[in-house]
Amino acid sequence: MNSRFTTNVISIVILAVLWEIAGRTFDSVLIPPLSKIGSAWLRLLTSGKLSANLAMSLGTLAAGFFLAVILGIVVGLLMGRFREVEHFLDLYINAFMSAPMTAFVPVLILWLGLGVESRIAVVFLFAFFVIVINTMTGVKQVDRTFVEMARSFGARETEVFFKIMLPAAMPAIMAGIHLGMGRAVKGMVTAEMLLTLTGIGAMIMQYGSAFATDALFAVILTILMVAMIAMKLVHWLDRRLTGWKAEIAIE
Amino acid sequence: MVEIQKVSKSFHKTVKDNTAEIKALADVSLSIRENEFISIIGPSGCGKTTLLRIIDGLIPYDSGAILINGNKISSPGPDRAVVFQTFALLPWRTVLANVEFSLELRRVAKEERTSIARDYLKRVGLEDFEHHYPHELSGGMQQRAGLARALAVNPMILLMDEPFGSVDAQTRQLLQEELLELWQREQKTVIFITHSMDEAVYLSDRVVIMTPRPGRVAEILDVPLPRPRIADDVRRDPKFADLTNYIWDSLKKAMENGH
Repeated sequence: MNSRFTTNVISIVILAVLWEIAGRTFDSVLIPPLSKIGSAWLRLLTSGKLSANLAMSLGTLAAGFFLAVILGIVVGLLMGRFREVEHFLDLYINAFMSAPMTAFVPVLILWLGLGVESRIAVVFLFAFFVIVINTMTGVKQVDRTFVEMARSFGARETEVFFKIMLPAAMPAIMAGIHLGMGRAVKGMVTAEMLLTLTGIGAMIMQYGSAFATDALFAVILTILMVAMIAMKLVHWLDRRLTGWKAEIAIE
Repeated sequence: MVEIQKVSKSFHKTVKDNTAEIKALADVSLSIRENEFISIIGPSGCGKTTLLRIIDGLIPYDSGAILINGNKISSPGPDRAVVFQTFALLPWRTVLANVEFSLELRRVAKEERTSIARDYLKRVGLEDFEHHYPHELSGGMQQRAGLARALAVNPMILLMDEPFGSVDAQTRQLLQEELLELWQREQKTVIFITHSMDEAVYLSDRVVIMTPRPGRVAEILDVPLPRPRIADDVRRDPKFADLTNYIWDSLKKAMENGH
């Protein structure tokens, strides 16, 4: 491991110690000491409550995010490749990009009901647009000489698309997926808190209103860990797919 | 072998609702012999690169005709391959995979294209770098890979668009010598775009001098220097200086008359 990892660990240890001290000093329900949060976490874990809810949440996250990645890349590629498609859609995509997604939750409830479909739709909406925009930008920024080179050697349209456009746009697509993953986690929690009280979101609402702050913080820390692991996964995938780009950046 | 007959080409450029017509080439005629090394030289914007792209079939022309062995061309074909000024190597592919790219598009089977690509990498002296990525190589080595990629499809005509324009001076001379050696062995027709008079004289059988926009053929000059040309000897030959001076005068005249 490297010095960055060491610094990360030191930072976490310092924060944990400060938190513990603050918790013990104030002795308030608002700031439970870390040790109490830890034991609450273990309690939730052994009772099976946390894992059951977490599994439910992650299922929603995976389904919504998967759809957002697949459709986002397809729409983004088409928009980047065909000007007509771009002009047809960019108005809506840009509007949705900056609109607060939570505003659409009531609409989704009306359309899709209170079931898992609505929650998947929220995750999808949170992640979809940023993936579209990044993919489109990536395709549009492909070096024209590469396209010309491929045509010169006799490439057909589909070959230009799959052998030039797609690999050249891959770093931008991965950047979109990276951003989309962060938004998807937000979408997941939002859906579970605003739409139907299920999963991790339900636990937050429940412990929050019951002032069970040790359990509340335990759940929040779990969400942070989930988000971090999800990001690491995307990062790992990124390194595998666009290693050539990372090497250029280092030089 | 290559017949360029009165080829003209205009571009339409739109800036804020005003469409201007830019005449890039006007009645360019030129016949190129088989296995000839011909250079096209001219000031920036004279349409040299446009002419090369038209010969490759990448862009259409407005009037005239281009015939290769009597057949009119309108799209890229297996008889031609381009070496690009900016190398145009794909950064996500290794050197070997870049050379294989041209063969891949020509539907050559996997094993065969690897062995062909290795063979050409050897000919340009890159056999030890096949697993490197383009950014790990110097400019000169990248262009050797670009040359290998073009040669790998065994074209009759090699179209070179200022191929050594973005490498340093010493590398440029080395690449010129290597190119001449390759050309002598491979027997190809080479159409070579350059803005270096020295390069044009050293490499070519004939030098085509073009006028500024719209590009026309101002003059075609024979280069009667004996082959094989040893770089140091050729450059010391008084005829070499005479020829470059002649091109310079001709270019100056063309530029003065042009506008």
